[in-house]
Amino acid sequence: MILTVLRVELTKVFSKWRTIIGFLVIAVIVPVVIVAMKVEGMRFFQYSTQALQDAFTFTGNLMNGYTISYIILGMLYIHVPFLTTLVAGDILAGEATAGTYRVLLTRPVSRFSVVTAKWMASMVYANLLVLLMAILSIVIGLLVLGTGELLVVRSQIVILAQDDIIWRLASAYAFAALSMSTVAAIAFLFSSLVENAIGPIMTTMGIIIVLTILSSIDTPLFDPLRKVAFTSHMIGWRFFFDQVVDWSRVSTSALVLVGHIVVCFIATQFIMHRKDILT
Amino acid sequence: MNVIELRGLRKKFGDFTAVDGLDITVRKGDIYGFLGPNGAGKSTTIRMMLSLIRPTEGTVRLFGEPLAEHREALLSRIGAIVERPDFYNYLTAYRNLEMLGRLSRADVSRANIMRLLGVVGLDTRAMSKVKTFSHGMKQRLGIAQALLHNPDLIVLDEPTTGLDPQGMVDIRELILDLSRTHCKTIFLSSHILPEVELTATRMVIINKGKAIVEGAVQDLLNAGRMKVTIDVAEPELATASIQRTPFASRIVGNAEGAIVLLLERAEIANLVQHLSSEGIAIHSVVPVRSLEEYFLDLTRIPS
Repeated sequence: MILTVLRVELTKVFSKWRTIIGFLVIAVIVPVVIVAMKVEGMRFFQYSTQALQDAFTFTGNLMNGYTISYIILGMLYIHVPFLTTLVAGDILAGEATAGTYRVLLTRPVSRFSVVTAKWMASMVYANLLVLLMAILSIVIGLLVLGTGELLVVRSQIVILAQDDIIWRLASAYAFAALSMSTVAAIAFLFSSLVENAIGPIMTTMGIIIVLTILSSIDTPLFDPLRKVAFTSHMIGWRFFFDQVVDWSRVSTSALVLVGHIVVCFIATQFIMHRKDILT
Repeated sequence: MNVIELRGLRKKFGDFTAVDGLDITVRKGDIYGFLGPNGAGKSTTIRMMLSLIRPTEGTVRLFGEPLAEHREALLSRIGAIVERPDFYNYLTAYRNLEMLGRLSRADVSRANIMRLLGVVGLDTRAMSKVKTFSHGMKQRLGIAQALLHNPDLIVLDEPTTGLDPQGMVDIRELILDLSRTHCKTIFLSSHILPEVELTATRMVIINKGKAIVEGAVQDLLNAGRMKVTIDVAEPELATASIQRTPFASRIVGNAEGAIVLLLERAEIANLVQHLSSEGIAIHSVVPVRSLEEYFLDLTRIPS
């Protein structure tokens, strides 16, 4: 039965404009960024490696498809959560706003199944957004900018060979999908608490912004927060671009994110199980 | 067989008691009128019957089984409209019924959905998005979704609100047809009292969350005093004659040759006999007690 409910929920989600808008935004932004990099990419590259120009000589096609995929993943990390919450924050609250809980929850389907199917639909949407971003950035990036080595400049300079990049990009995007699933799960939880989708969207984005700011302040006071805040672990995709991937850090971050998803799912089920439908 | 049994049903929202120990029994085949003024607790009761709201106390049994333990099985036998007919406005009427039908394990073939849309007069708008529908059209669609899975019990909360007069007649006839031809049990909550009077076999009137009176509609309407209009040939003579009887204080008005009195059913024959014995020609005797008057009589009483 849960597959039937999921089918219904996916029909609803993919019939809404806000869902289509999410995909359109990705479909427009990614090619625009790639074209911009094709035109102005070297200037951007020189600007970002300004401090290294005196000590190093850069040769080869460094502004290539892999580089652009890496840049896009970093650039869109604050935008995609917003697109994710647009749908996940609306998926329960939207039923309350529209008054459709009454026709939905008087069907011979358990609330557990309805909530689970809605949660799965949110996850499908969040993951498809990241998948679209990955496919567009890698495919269009390679077509427009070609291949080459990937130069990553963070606390150290990492140069990754062409044949060592695809699996790293795929893993990073998979990790990004997990991160967006976490954002979706949090928005989903807030969506169960209110009767208007604006609340969950604003609250989730507010939490992401506040935690990101607090986590970036380098003081021991916020060390415990950094350990548990999902925003600190959402950037775990970067570990895949270290010369040697630190799998313990990757798995720790992944576990923290999965923990957030599980807790949010259980809390939402509990809230919805006890909820009186008054709208 | 009892289709609905509510026992000691109570719902509190903080300090406010919306439903206060309600007992209702609806038998198979009843068209059961559920009446009460605004805020009486009707919608809260219906929501508890459909597991949208958890009762604070009391039990809901449907088809003899407790709702709390057999929710899905029991809901598969119920079709309902609860308050406003809200749908997924961004989808067509057809797609709404198809989706809701899947969730009810109903026959969602094109033929069945179009047949139901035809029953409520929406077959020509099947592929229109619901956001383009008027309130009356949504109300019709609400009735179609309630009938999707051929339920045994149909709960209709204000089903004719927003309909034009012809639409109201159509729905009334549909309700009677569902009861008489298809042996469905109908639980009909309505503010339109003539609608209940014309369709319901039994009814309850609730106020402030409590049942005030329950029984067969005609029994309830016939009980107690009712307005009786007696059309006579000589009204002044008849009035003077009545003034000399114990019915003198029961005269409540005169209008165009007719005298209006408040009488109990058994007293009508006595009065007619008295006027006949006085040689006063009687053209007609019309006892009138509308549900509206009965309802207002009961709900005006502070409880």
